[in-house]
Amino acid sequence: MGAPLTATVLLTAESLAVVEAMGPLDVLVGVPVCNHARSIARLLEALAAGLQESVAPQRGALLVLNAGSQDDAGTAVRTWLAGAPAVPPVRWLEIATPRRGHALLALFAAAQALGVAACAFVDADLTGATPAWIPALVQPILEQTATCVLPVYTRPLSDGTLTTNLLAPVTRALYGKRVHEVIGGCAGVAPALAGTLLDHVWQADHSAGGVDLLLTTQAVATGATVAEARLGPKQVAGGWGQPDLATTLVRTVGALFGAMERFHERWDAVQGSVPLTPPAADGLLPPAPGAHVDRMVYAFRMGLKDLLPVWEQIMPEDTLADLYPLGVGPAEEFQFPGPVWARAVFDFALAFHDRRLPREHLLRALAPLYLGRAAAFLLEARGAAPAGFDFLLERVGRAFEEAKGDLRFRWR
Amino acid sequence: MDTLTNILLGPVQATATWLGAMTPRLLAMVAFIVIGWALAAVMRRVTGRLLRATAFDQRCVRWGVTATLGRIGVREVPAVLLGHAVFWTILLVGLLMGVDALGVPAVTGVVATVLHYLPNLIVAGVILITGWVLANFLGQAALIGAVNAQVAGAPVIAGAVRWLVLVFAGAAVLTQLGIAREMVLLAFGIAFGGTVLALALAFGLGGKDLAREILESRLRKRNGDDHITHL
Repeated sequence: MGAPLTATVLLTAESLAVVEAMGPLDVLVGVPVCNHARSIARLLEALAAGLQESVAPQRGALLVLNAGSQDDAGTAVRTWLAGAPAVPPVRWLEIATPRRGHALLALFAAAQALGVAACAFVDADLTGATPAWIPALVQPILEQTATCVLPVYTRPLSDGTLTTNLLAPVTRALYGKRVHEVIGGCAGVAPALAGTLLDHVWQADHSAGGVDLLLTTQAVATGATVAEARLGPKQVAGGWGQPDLATTLVRTVGALFGAMERFHERWDAVQGSVPLTPPAADGLLPPAPGAHVDRMVYAFRMGLKDLLPVWEQIMPEDTLADLYPLGVGPAEEFQFPGPVWARAVFDFALAFHDRRLPREHLLRALAPLYLGRAAAFLLEARGAAPAGFDFLLERVGRAFEEAKGDLRFRWR
Repeated sequence: MDTLTNILLGPVQATATWLGAMTPRLLAMVAFIVIGWALAAVMRRVTGRLLRATAFDQRCVRWGVTATLGRIGVREVPAVLLGHAVFWTILLVGLLMGVDALGVPAVTGVVATVLHYLPNLIVAGVILITGWVLANFLGQAALIGAVNAQVAGAPVIAGAVRWLVLVFAGAAVLTQLGIAREMVLLAFGIAFGGTVLALALAFGLGGKDLAREILESRLRKRNGDDHITHL
């Protein structure tokens, strides 16, 4: 347990003084930045324009939150500010613990301290952001038709395979909401939801790494009104030190499984699911060529051969019996059926809950299994017509919904 | 006649004197054993309850202790095993104190030696258990890490890590017990240094291809997965 998460704790003294001097605002937009010196000016240009479209002059502000930049991002922002109009105000803030998760929490705390009507964040690596993103993210909150607005991107099926095959279908099965982007890199948030999140992050002593996921889960699990905004293509530039796959799983799936324990009573009562946004004809694009499916299948099969002693502690014999046949056959004909994948993921969730292994070991042991499922999904997508792309995702989601009964029965 | 009486009564008197002297000692021995047994039984129960209250068995499952015990045929849960250890330690101390109470000079020295040695045994036991848990933890971490890095022979690497920690723990236990301390230190130093040198030579001279394969595999992996994004 630590001190409650407030602006005083999350921001440095100088940054806190900057926030307190900002005066009454309606909308606060935050941009966590880390080594984005090359792209930050263009992004700020777009967001500032969007903010001017969304709120009256002087009623909106942009915060650039330094999440550990080692490059000249600060100089780039100051250079841009020198030539930028004074409205909306843009401020550079230092975070007490310069990490992305803490930067988001600092934004929420600043929004609370200033008493704004809506806040939003956009990751600095989302270089495809346009001015239209800001009204899309904050307008539903200002109009009080939503407390959380999540993005929906137009993406190829080869992008976000962890989201489409694990994070989103698990969220759908558990909480009954068909969220497209569980960790979307941007969102609009009502201050009340931000406040609840600050309380829960503190109470659960949760790592700030999965703050986005916690925000989404908090919203869908507590019955907050969640809306989605179609933002077009997702273009991502480098900047954040991209972690390896196993670390990504620890941060994201770990946060998802952790939330399952906290919200057990909520998800236990949920049946079925509802879409948040109707499918769009051009929402999903064919998988980008060049993904090395054969290497992903090889990684899965190596896991099946060498990690079996670990998997035996996590998955029961029924699930393993369905995995054994996947160890043979040509890679281009590899299949990993959705129902088997869903059962395996819930076996991991149960083992996580029962603490059958050190949790980090357990989550890292999921990596080969996930690569196998991602390979099978890409092979399915390559063979599907564009009209059938939505069906592919729907089939995964339904598999998780069907596996939920067994999860509910086995959860103690 | 007096002589015969003396001959007859002498041993009786001696036995009576011996019994007079020994009876309190025997009673003391029985008392020590009974009290030791009772205390051991109570402490076994208290230990079991304390360990259950702190979810010790669940922690042992997580640390891999239960699975390791299962692999060597031990079916009882760790809390029960520790309860047994506490019971037998206290009972052993009770027995030793009982034997000591008899005042037999030859045994008294042995009892003192055993009691003096007991703390070393306990510390050695703690080192052994800690080493065992650590070996399993690090072995498992190495296995998962090697598989995720797609290194061929991951189980061999994991086994090597596990045995390295176990051998280190074993050497520490023997040193703690004072068994051939110099020999253990020397043997461990030679074995450890030799292993490192052998690995260096094997990897440097004989394992050039393996080293290249590992490096290529890592580089390939970094370049290979970049056509999909996970989030």
